[in-house]
Amino acid sequence: MNTVTHPVVPEQVMAFLDGELPSAQAQSVFEHVKHCADCASLAAELANTQRQLATWSVDALPLRVESALLQKLERQNTPLRDPGWPSRVRGPIGVRPLLAISGAATALVIVFLFARVSGRSYLAKYMEPRPTSPSVAALGARGGTTPRQIPNKSKAIAEYEALSRETQQMATNASLDLDGASEGVGRGEGAGNGPSDEDGRVAPDFHQPMIARTVSLTILTKDFPASRAQLDAILARYHGYAAQLTANNAENRARSITASLRIPASELSVAINALKNLGHVETESQSGEEITQQHADLVARLKNAHETETRLQAILQQRTGKVADVLAVEQEIARVRGEIEQMEAERKALEHRVDFGSIELNLTEEYKAQLDGSSPSVSTRMHNALVNGFEHAAESLLGLLLFFMEAGPVLLLWGALLVLPAFLVIRRYRRAVTAV
Amino acid sequence: MLAFSQGSTEAFAELFGRYKQPLYGFFRRRLGDPARAEELTQETFLVVLRSASRYEPRALFRTYLYAIGFKILRAHRHRTVLRATILGLRKPEQAPSVLEAHDANLAVREALSRLDSIGREILLLREFEQLSYSEIADLLRLPVNTVRSRLFRARATLRDILAAPAPQAAPTKFTESEEHA
Repeated sequence: MNTVTHPVVPEQVMAFLDGELPSAQAQSVFEHVKHCADCASLAAELANTQRQLATWSVDALPLRVESALLQKLERQNTPLRDPGWPSRVRGPIGVRPLLAISGAATALVIVFLFARVSGRSYLAKYMEPRPTSPSVAALGARGGTTPRQIPNKSKAIAEYEALSRETQQMATNASLDLDGASEGVGRGEGAGNGPSDEDGRVAPDFHQPMIARTVSLTILTKDFPASRAQLDAILARYHGYAAQLTANNAENRARSITASLRIPASELSVAINALKNLGHVETESQSGEEITQQHADLVARLKNAHETETRLQAILQQRTGKVADVLAVEQEIARVRGEIEQMEAERKALEHRVDFGSIELNLTEEYKAQLDGSSPSVSTRMHNALVNGFEHAAESLLGLLLFFMEAGPVLLLWGALLVLPAFLVIRRYRRAVTAV
Repeated sequence: MLAFSQGSTEAFAELFGRYKQPLYGFFRRRLGDPARAEELTQETFLVVLRSASRYEPRALFRTYLYAIGFKILRAHRHRTVLRATILGLRKPEQAPSVLEAHDANLAVREALSRLDSIGREILLLREFEQLSYSEIADLLRLPVNTVRSRLFRARATLRDILAAPAPQAAPTKFTESEEHA
């Protein structure tokens, strides 16, 4: 066929048979096919091929498939059962997720309410009001906070108090220095309602809960030098001291002081108020850690150690024996004495934490930048930036080069090992996809 | 379909009744395993059901349905081939013409299996799914002119194969899985 004798190409004949030509073009093709034997033959052959293809029939879809599908549809499509359900109610996430979320939220609310009710009944049972000591009451009144209530006296606490009194008595008798850590700063009245020792110092009152208070303050001040002087004055006025203090006086930046202050517990609240006057308080947090139980354990262990020591000393004085036995007893006494000293130190540290509240202070100057005429010019800064940029570019290139020098051989090795299998797998996969 | 997307059960029943057999035929003519064809038919209708709320009448529902079916078929083929290539579990599924050698239409199916894959797909879509050239072009993402020329070539090849004298039939070997299918 050529375009001279056949103005209609074979594909057009096929398209005509398929009804894919516009009506005008279909008419011209029809006229041509009527008078052209070749094209008529082609049309007949194509029609014959179509008829042959049409003989390929497919068995009917089994009924069991249909019923299984309908069952699946019913299971998966609940809204379909109710055509009246508006689609806007279903929303973009469907009904089932909404129901699940609602159920979970309801369960959460129930659990929360249950926990609150249970918590209240528990507190009502174990947190009966008890009279607070004058020291604690005073502390709370001054600081504007109420000391945390503790459960009613239990048997263990009663034993602990008895032990405390005994230990105090033993320590006094042994002329132990129980208040060394607080020497020079004095013990405040808040913790000083207990019995006095030989030096007239007041031992802590262990009938009251032992609470180690910690306060954190972040203050912004406009007049930094004056605030610094006031800080020193506050420490002196309230018999406190700085356990740690770091001052930052760098130029062209905000000056600051980070300090860990120790203030007698009885004067902690007033000291905090005084510190707040240094400037604008940005953040404040207060916490109290009850160490009563910890102290009770320590006192009990201390008492036992004292008794052991007493018994050992009695053995040493009353019994006679070999030199080796005597030496062994003396060694044991020394060991027990060492333990006593260590526990005494721990006890003092605990009591010191109660006697002295801790204030973590962060005092920062409200810095106003000054116009600095000595800063480098714009051209100098651009030059420096350009030099830095080139240096960084060179460094990154060098880093890349070093990386490839270091990892290149490994990458090449694995690439050589994997490239052939990968190529074969990909080729096989492509052939298989094309085949089906 | 619009009525179905608004929740009408009757509309879906009508769609299902109208298209279940053509869709099953679509899969059955392309897969050797009838059970797999049934499974993919179900899957296609499930997809239609799940995406009913997002349906937009931009084309005929028939085109929409076959587009979904074609995607599912393609995904199934890729899965099968990948499994066979990587894991070596079984051979990729064969076309029905190879499997059903005992059938009376062996000549037609054998001739179809000798066409190239694109030509065969275009021819099947045109002859059995009755899609227009433009619908086939949309489905296969080919230009309409390419569809027309490939279709003509496929028909001409098929005509020549069917016109040629039948070769001596060799006994067809079945794999174990194919025999079960």
